[in-house]
Amino acid sequence: DQVLHIMPETLQQVQHLQLLCSTLMLDLWKPLLPEDIRAGEDLHIRVPAPLVQEVKDSLDQFMISYRVLIPDVQKLVDQSMPRERSSHRQVSGGYVYTEYHPMDEIYQWMTQIQKNNSELVTQHFLGKTFENRTMYYLQISQPSNKPKKIIWMDCGIHAREWISPAFCQWFVKEILQNYKTDSNISRFLQNLDLYVLPVLNIDGYIYSWEEDRLWRKNRSPYKNGTCYGTDLNRNFNSSWGSVGVSFNCSSDVFCGLGPESEPETRAVAQFIKSKKSDILCYLTIHSYGQLILTPYGSTNEPPSNNEELMQVAKEAAAALTGKYGTSYRVGSTASILYSNSGSSRDWAHTIGIPLSYTFELRDTGTHGFVLPADQIQPTCEETM
Amino acid sequence: VTELSPSHFSAARAAAVALGYLRYLRGGPGRGLGLRQLRSARRQDIDDVGHKYYLELELEDVLDKARTVSCTAEVLYQLGSKTSAPDVQVTVQGELRSTEEADQEFYSRIRSLENELVAENIPDSHGNVPPELEPIHLLAWVASGYVIWQNSSENTKFHLAQVKHVKQVKRNDEDLQFDFVVLLHDMVSQEVLPWQVTLLWHPQRGARVSQ
Repeated sequence: DQVLHIMPETLQQVQHLQLLCSTLMLDLWKPLLPEDIRAGEDLHIRVPAPLVQEVKDSLDQFMISYRVLIPDVQKLVDQSMPRERSSHRQVSGGYVYTEYHPMDEIYQWMTQIQKNNSELVTQHFLGKTFENRTMYYLQISQPSNKPKKIIWMDCGIHAREWISPAFCQWFVKEILQNYKTDSNISRFLQNLDLYVLPVLNIDGYIYSWEEDRLWRKNRSPYKNGTCYGTDLNRNFNSSWGSVGVSFNCSSDVFCGLGPESEPETRAVAQFIKSKKSDILCYLTIHSYGQLILTPYGSTNEPPSNNEELMQVAKEAAAALTGKYGTSYRVGSTASILYSNSGSSRDWAHTIGIPLSYTFELRDTGTHGFVLPADQIQPTCEETM
Repeated sequence: VTELSPSHFSAARAAAVALGYLRYLRGGPGRGLGLRQLRSARRQDIDDVGHKYYLELELEDVLDKARTVSCTAEVLYQLGSKTSAPDVQVTVQGELRSTEEADQEFYSRIRSLENELVAENIPDSHGNVPPELEPIHLLAWVASGYVIWQNSSENTKFHLAQVKHVKQVKRNDEDLQFDFVVLLHDMVSQEVLPWQVTLLWHPQRGARVSQ
């Protein structure tokens, strides 16, 4: 956020400023009310970061002179009153991976990660959410002249599952911190590219921070804005709408008006479709339950490569248990959890991605969705 | 009687009912029981009666995780009954850690409060519970254990997601009374449902839900 010092000279400029303040609901520091803005008297306005460019453009358009009084409000606040959450631990440039982070911090983190690891990481546009927020994925790719297969991992398709985005961030950090020294990771990266989407359901995630911690769906409005949200993990084009869903918008498993009706679903599906011949493995991270789930949810029919899917999953579960003794169960969604249709994991498998898994991270119900932050580290370490 | 994989959803759902019942029966401000593992499950379809599950559970005391205790449970879902709770029988093998001292301490502390205790959002969004509220948190487990037991069917799997609100109500008798609003998450429908439940508790007499 910035604070601008503005000097309106004419009545027309004053009127424009009053309009700008009320339309954008800007935070007037001096004077306190728009009606007290006068020609010849200076103004101080705090402009939220996303609006800074727009406001400056508007001032330029009306030839209103201004200068930046405070270039970074948060920095000033932090300096005067150190936030308890800013730990002094230096972890990848000061980011604390053992805490849950709101979306604006995750956006900043992605930018930093790309900046600090530009030889390996690139940030890419995937699409836009319903509320018009940008979805980015990180591509971790070691430059090479041979074509590489892809492993895709998305987190945060369900807003309340906070441990999931925390894991994606942890995962990226671990890879980047250790790829030079860990022979497994370096071998991995010689042959594979990693694509990580840290938060798929951005609007929902923000809503779970600001309004309702236990929100699950996205934030598309229905019925004239009286009902919100589609369950994105029932919205994919895999036996869509057939089982384990509701057609009632108020349900937490509302599957939307049709397969891929949601912009978030489309953004992911379009991208994966475009790369599907190169994607070896599709992973989607959820909580809770401590499960590694294989296709399918909509039927008890096993997928064609069920033996391979199960074997890999069992080895993964064993490795996971080896770390802290946490036990994970392995099996198809239909047998372990319930019937469902329209899941991203099932869809990925049906379009031809052979290894397709849903991870349900800690725990098994003791804390459920509100997993304490002190479990972020062990959860992520064992899942690595 | 058929053997079920303990991973199978019907076994897991019956285990959640047994756990709810156990928490109601044996939980307290100094003891919270968790399910460490479902060791085995069998199911019996009884004509004209319902479906009965035979379970072997391994329980842990969340305040003393090194220790586990075995337990067998029988959960009978009655046929066609929308309004009656599953019948549950449990046998705990072995001793649970005594909480006499902690219970008495908690009881005295609450009785001596000048203002009635009120709290919200336990745990908070980040999963934190202030230490002085942990006993209240565990009493919420007792209360929600009752609600889960009473309201479960073969098509639900409830867990306590969060305590939305708790208010102590001072009484003229010796019981402590807590009015809870608990949020229960049903894994099957994915809904989070608020439930009001009033719990009475006494260090010697234990807990009961007041209707």
